[in-house]
Amino acid sequence: MKKLSLPLLLFLTIACTQQLHAQAPQAQKILKKTMVEHFFSCPLDEMLDTLSMQYKLRFIFEREPIHTMDIVEHFFNESLLDVLKTVCQKNDLHYWVENDGTIYILQQPDDLERLKQLNKMNQTLSKVKPKTLDPPKGPPTHFMFSISGRVVDQNTGEALPGAIVSIRNTSLNTATNTNGNFTMLNVPADTCVLEVSFMGYQPDKFRLDDSKIKEQMVLPLFPSMNALNEVVITDKKHGVMNTDSKKVSVLQLTPAALDKLPNIGERDILRSFQLMPGVSGSNESSSGAYVRGGTPDQNLVTFDGFTVYQVDHLYGFYSAFNPNAVRDVEMYKGGYSAKYGGRLSAVTEIRGKDGNKNEFNIGGDISLLSLNLYAETPLNKNSSALVSFRRSYQGPLYDKIFGQFNKSTAIGGGGGGPGGGRGFMNQTTPSSYFYDLNAKYTYAPSDKNSFSWTYYSGTDHLDNSRDLNFPSFVASYTSDLKMNDYTKSGNVGTSGKWVSTWGKKLFSTTVLSYSQFNSDHNQGTTGTVTDSGTTTNVNNGVLEHNRLRDLSLKSDWEWQAGSKYKVLFGAYGSYLNIDYDYTQNDTISLISQHNTGEIGGSYAELEFDPTTNLHIQPGIRETYYSPTGKMYTEPRFNATYHLTDRFNLKVAGGRFYQFTNQVTREDILNGNRTFWTLADGKTMPVSSANHYIAGFNYETKDFLIDVEGYYKQLNGLTQYSIRQQGGGGGGGFNTVGTTTTITENYYVGNGWAKGIEVLLQKKVGVYTGWIAYTLAQSKSKFAAYGTDYFPSDQDVRNEFKSINMYHLQRWSFAATWIYSTGKPYTAPLGSYTINTVDGNKQTYLTISDKNGERLPAYHRLDLSATYDLLKISGNKVGSIGFSLFNAYNHTNIWYKQYSIQNNQVVISNVNYLGMTPNITLSLRWK
Amino acid sequence: MEIKIHQLLFTVMIIGVLAFSSCTKTSVDNAISNKPVVVGYLVPGQLISVKIYQQKVLTDTATYGAAIKGLALTLSDGSKTVSLTESAAGTYTYADNTFLVTGKTYTLQFTYLNTQVSAQTVMPEKPQNYTATKTTINLPTGTTSISDSVATTFRWSNPDSAYHVIAFKNDDTAPFQINSRGNPLVNFTVNVNKTIEYQMLYRSFNYIGIYRAILLSVDKEYIDLLNNQSGSSSQNLANIPTNVNNGLGIFTAMQADTIKLTLTQY
Repeated sequence: MKKLSLPLLLFLTIACTQQLHAQAPQAQKILKKTMVEHFFSCPLDEMLDTLSMQYKLRFIFEREPIHTMDIVEHFFNESLLDVLKTVCQKNDLHYWVENDGTIYILQQPDDLERLKQLNKMNQTLSKVKPKTLDPPKGPPTHFMFSISGRVVDQNTGEALPGAIVSIRNTSLNTATNTNGNFTMLNVPADTCVLEVSFMGYQPDKFRLDDSKIKEQMVLPLFPSMNALNEVVITDKKHGVMNTDSKKVSVLQLTPAALDKLPNIGERDILRSFQLMPGVSGSNESSSGAYVRGGTPDQNLVTFDGFTVYQVDHLYGFYSAFNPNAVRDVEMYKGGYSAKYGGRLSAVTEIRGKDGNKNEFNIGGDISLLSLNLYAETPLNKNSSALVSFRRSYQGPLYDKIFGQFNKSTAIGGGGGGPGGGRGFMNQTTPSSYFYDLNAKYTYAPSDKNSFSWTYYSGTDHLDNSRDLNFPSFVASYTSDLKMNDYTKSGNVGTSGKWVSTWGKKLFSTTVLSYSQFNSDHNQGTTGTVTDSGTTTNVNNGVLEHNRLRDLSLKSDWEWQAGSKYKVLFGAYGSYLNIDYDYTQNDTISLISQHNTGEIGGSYAELEFDPTTNLHIQPGIRETYYSPTGKMYTEPRFNATYHLTDRFNLKVAGGRFYQFTNQVTREDILNGNRTFWTLADGKTMPVSSANHYIAGFNYETKDFLIDVEGYYKQLNGLTQYSIRQQGGGGGGGFNTVGTTTTITENYYVGNGWAKGIEVLLQKKVGVYTGWIAYTLAQSKSKFAAYGTDYFPSDQDVRNEFKSINMYHLQRWSFAATWIYSTGKPYTAPLGSYTINTVDGNKQTYLTISDKNGERLPAYHRLDLSATYDLLKISGNKVGSIGFSLFNAYNHTNIWYKQYSIQNNQVVISNVNYLGMTPNITLSLRWK
Repeated sequence: MEIKIHQLLFTVMIIGVLAFSSCTKTSVDNAISNKPVVVGYLVPGQLISVKIYQQKVLTDTATYGAAIKGLALTLSDGSKTVSLTESAAGTYTYADNTFLVTGKTYTLQFTYLNTQVSAQTVMPEKPQNYTATKTTINLPTGTTSISDSVATTFRWSNPDSAYHVIAFKNDDTAPFQINSRGNPLVNFTVNVNKTIEYQMLYRSFNYIGIYRAILLSVDKEYIDLLNNQSGSSSQNLANIPTNVNNGLGIFTAMQADTIKLTLTQY
């Protein structure tokens, strides 16, 4: 920074006497309403001086460089805003209106911080101090009362969940709930000052008064200038203690800053969690979360209250959620509240945006793979709407990314399946795409009630069809055959949500939701074959249909029973219906499952703070599940203890049940298919888990150290596999056109997972980021594989992640490096060939212990650079992002493939993505 | 406070190290490569013959592993034990097939590399009342509707719900392929499971000539062998079930009945 004397540098106008939180709109209003009729021919600083004197505005700028800019301009009845825009544009400057009404003139976005500091120092030096807060209107008249309110974004009206509200000079503080509401009991007096802060927003202060305390207050916050490189995901929301540390194993994310991280296709909500400890970062083929040795289907994903059963698109390269439609996401890695249930490992709760309540806005992103558009608007005083749409297209990256999926289908195991001569296939590039649509309508007739309706529809069209043409040396005939391999799968979900405030101490959220998962797979051969003038029509294949329907009603209540007690309770019920049909040639039914189940129950949880240092949260959840006709009791517990201001201890635990399972149908030639089934208590038991978690964190203004250890027992795990012979398969009954036979295998087993997660995070500054290290182990035991525990498929011993972000003016640079121990796999040790009775030879492999071998370590470096597009007013209107996935092109092995050629076992690797660049352009109107 | 925190960190690390040091790496089961491969089908009316050979290393291009010579194989029917003689390298035979009687349990035993290898199987009933609705079949040259219809129906009686398969074997020296579906297998097996009839579709036949449709009553171990594949990727590799203790392969008894089919296309 240049050494210049402060009084010279800064010019302060006369402080306005407006009420503080109304000052920014006031300043904006003055800028818009005031018409300038003036001829300026002077240095810019003098012009600003004149304006500030005339219109009572506070401008902060560096005088020396501004002085060198001359203005010769005649304004004819132009608004002050336009005047400001004109002069800023001409001189390559930006202006920024802070929430105290101060207008900063910036040469570079990063100047804001420095100017603010200078402003502050100047205020203490100067005798003219800007009034920052109303004085109390009089002596306090009310004592020890309760208040309630809502924290929202000033510009869009969106609620801000997790914002910290505290009373100045007291130890009272609280955080807003998921609807942005808060309640505070025992407020000492009605002259107190409320301080409100939230990540990404300018902290603000609000003076209480006689009338405000009687009603539901609305506290708006202004977004902070995008110049600050803020932490994208935090274990805790920054700043104030004692609220966030009430929670154990929680990760939070706001999608707004996601463009700062490297991406493959697009900003990705679920994939970002993979950068945190405890969530595996080496599964490129899935957006699903492998949390603490669990599988993705053990993670409950809800969107505005309905359960999402297909969380990714296009083989896992996209998560199913459009970041433009998402307000915030929370992931509970374990030991979570009794409010949630039905899954063994984790919960990811996604809340959609309500849509801008103040003005119409439109925006979108375009990358080399997909297009993303959204629009949001207020409909009238009480309602708003948001619509967003995404679709992938076959951009330049398409072949590179999806080529590997075709490759894996081309290599056939066993050889010589139906249709024979697989090696002669003439492949065409498959054309797969997805689209998804989000819509939301919010209606808030009063401060006390709000209704919202959410609709989500996501569909994947995966087409791996090929033409089959045989070279002339194989056959003396011509053929026009097409091998269809078409999958359409998707999730449709809708929910109606009613949020109600019943007085100051009681809140409720009731959601009626419907979610439907569909997966239809059609594979077969159609066409004609002409041989010696005779034409044969060929049409055979298999159809696979899986549909899950989930109709649910859930009501969650929050009662602030006393200053030390908060009671959470609620009830829920679901009707689940799952169909799974597997048909050959339209007529022969191989599998036909039609299962129905009802789940119903209730929960109660107490948040108890016996002292200011201790938070205890015991809970219980009681669920009835109709297919087994049993009650399932899930005790939950978590507690935190503040040893010092900076140091917290935390423990959590509980029991968890899961009633629906995602199972895999093994299809050796064409890739595995997954679908959902219901536990029936017999072949597929209701699975259960016990979590034990303990940890601590140490937090300073700049740094956070968070350490958690966990142990998780898993019982009643099911691996359900369907093996198919004939028809589509190969193998012993390797024959063309005969009926497919199906073997259903139900393997039931147990498992456990344990680990320690360490997070060291630098929270603020131009350089931010974190280091995450996880030492973990996950083992399973299935009688089908032997009597010993073997490493689970997702078992990874060491995982290290380094996330680095550097901010420079309008540029943000990020580098993330992920290192992970290789995944376990089962390897062939030898082979042997048996003559079957029909005279054919069948070759089998002898294999190592289940998952007895390890793939080499996985590691990759991702880089990105993002350039912010700013308006003259300093508001961000978009960004251009360049990213480089797997920058040093490390070969990471996905899995190994074995085929028998010339009696040898040939081993080939199927790899994850190599170096992949991408460019994303994001724009929004306002 | 700082000291306390350091102590705590240290303690946590110690606990962590202890928690993980208790785990030992499970060694790969090397013994598996020492297991001999046994292939023996006991069929009344046929010579009793059991082949024993080694597994192959992955890069071996030979069809079968090296024959294991010089073993002393015994076969017992529960009351009588006979010794098999090595008629060719790794092939052990016993000439008197009257030894094979329906319902008896046969146990094969030998010692290989100081380990006792054994396998057991029960001789199933001979298939009864095996018929086919048609034995001379002219295969269609044209349309789907015919090729998807039933060419012939095989029936048999199966009061005990025993496992059956039908093996189709073409006796021609150079079977003539009639359709365009690449290179389907000439001989093939159909799993008819525990049923009493099987409908054979026209399009299931890819070659013309004389076929023997051999109905075999089999034991479950044979079904298990045919039903399973090793898998083709590290994500789905699985060991094949075997009824050979301390070994691999199959030792199973079966009985057969044959219907001759004449397939033409004109």
